[in-house]
Amino acid sequence: MFGTLRDLLKTNGEFALGAGLTAFVFLIAALSFVSPQPPLDVYVVPPDLPPGWPHVFGTTSRGQDVFWQLTFAIRNTLLFGLTVALLSRVISLVVGLLAGYKGGWVDRLLMSINDTFIVIPLLPILVLLYFVMRDRMTWGFLAMTMALLGWAYDARLIRSVAMSLRHRDFTRTSVFSGMGTREILQREHLPYVLPIVFSTTLNNMNWSIGLEVTLAVLGFTDINTPSIGGMIYWANQHTAMVAGIWWWIAFPVALVMMVFIGLYLLAVSLNEYIDPRSRLSRMGVAS
Amino acid sequence: MLSVQGLKAYYMTRHFGVQREVRAVDGIDFEVLRNEIYGLAGESSCGKTTLIKTIAAAWKPPLQIVAGSVGFTFAPDILRLAPAELARVRWKHLAYIVQGSMSVLNPVRRIRESFVDFAFRHLGVARAEFDRRVSAHLARVKLDPGIVNAYPHQLSGGMRQRVTIALATICRPEFVIADEPTTALDVLVQKDVLDMIREVQREIGSSVLLVTHDLGVHAHVADRMGIMYAGRLVEEAPTRELFRAPRHPYTAHLIASLPRIGDRTTRKPLEGSPPNLAAPPPGCRFHPRCPLAMDRCRAEVPPLQTIGAQHRVACFAVNA
Repeated sequence: MFGTLRDLLKTNGEFALGAGLTAFVFLIAALSFVSPQPPLDVYVVPPDLPPGWPHVFGTTSRGQDVFWQLTFAIRNTLLFGLTVALLSRVISLVVGLLAGYKGGWVDRLLMSINDTFIVIPLLPILVLLYFVMRDRMTWGFLAMTMALLGWAYDARLIRSVAMSLRHRDFTRTSVFSGMGTREILQREHLPYVLPIVFSTTLNNMNWSIGLEVTLAVLGFTDINTPSIGGMIYWANQHTAMVAGIWWWIAFPVALVMMVFIGLYLLAVSLNEYIDPRSRLSRMGVAS
Repeated sequence: MLSVQGLKAYYMTRHFGVQREVRAVDGIDFEVLRNEIYGLAGESSCGKTTLIKTIAAAWKPPLQIVAGSVGFTFAPDILRLAPAELARVRWKHLAYIVQGSMSVLNPVRRIRESFVDFAFRHLGVARAEFDRRVSAHLARVKLDPGIVNAYPHQLSGGMRQRVTIALATICRPEFVIADEPTTALDVLVQKDVLDMIREVQREIGSSVLLVTHDLGVHAHVADRMGIMYAGRLVEEAPTRELFRAPRHPYTAHLIASLPRIGDRTTRKPLEGSPPNLAAPPPGCRFHPRCPLAMDRCRAEVPPLQTIGAQHRVACFAVNA
């Protein structure tokens, strides 16, 4: 495991860059735990200061230090992405493995639900949900909703792998040896699909963070939980761009772009590593 | 040990209202005795795999059992066992090495985990004792017990085959069904694996039903042999006798087609191809290709008749 990671870092530039960016962002998020200021307090520092010492990223029009505000914002945003990704992974694994292995009416039922979720337009639904829920639209509620909406593509992917696993001899032998459906899925098929799931998890994080930022910028989320999108929302509310407070918008945007690029590079390079054909061609073994 | 009586298993398919019936196994009777290796031979698509799937009670639609019974000493009527009982019998009493058994091992599970997954529940011993038995059993098939920590891709084809055989025999089953256990192995490894099957079989005193189209393999290990043609058993005899004096014209052709060292004559191919089992010819299914075919062969099905000690043939030309 660690040997593989070391090799990847050494030989794969994309992986190294992606890992570096992601690690940097996580470090920033970790700094929130030593922040001298509580995230929701306003007018604790002089407002509208440009970047400089001691406020390295400047201060906002609401009297908050952009840097420390950013540590909280990125922490919540990452946590949001992770929560959505993990929850939706559970759903897509259960649905994909079960549908692929069982086939028949189980498959048809699960896949018709699955396809419904694939064709549902997400943004209008989420906006609508905000107008229905209003103040009850908390961080956790949004994460649950996104997880419920974001599993369908990967469930199809997992199902296609599970369908091929179903006809392998080791599955037949498992059935012959008396293993039940749950045991076969958990012990034989789950380890097989985990690498694929790992790579799609990163993509799913990107997707959910992107959507959360979009909603937050528009003000359709719980604006009292600091997040990247929330920061941009407040900056827009105070017409930061017009007032020349560019650092209030530039730093959150730069940081969240680092998240996107970092996770994307990780997903791409891991994907390439997981697929033996592209791994071999990279190693120069096969043409 | 095993007694199959009047077994008929057809593939029943229905597409767009058209019923199709493929008679893959059509009336088979035979017995396998305790402590013997019974070889089942026949060309591709003659129903070998269907037959053993049925014997292992591992059939599923569209395959259907139409008639007949399969009985083991430990399960007098295995085709009618409840799933829970079936699970108890399998592996412990009845092991099945499936075709292409190289892929029986899950590529992402260590060998140890495969043993635990497949066999642990059937042995009913503590985990430490189970690990000890796995090591001992791997040593018996001449493998380093250290390979339990390896993944299948780290082993060679021959080693994987041995692991598979070790997996199938760890519970010391009374009956082992092996479907093409040596296909895709080179001749040397084949011999090794066959000797090992023989050795393990002798040691635990089990019976083996060995299925392959490779007559050389049968000649090497089988005690008795049955020849299948188009879903029916056409001849059955002790291996030595079958090779020395085949009686059924199909068997005779099969044996005559084997290459022999020093024999330079060209082999004569048999005219025609095996019949379509969805619409088999009436009477003896071999008659369209048989040089000895008579009018009677076209109308009646020849019964499998005993013609000598342990020697049975289904042919009017021989039995008349």
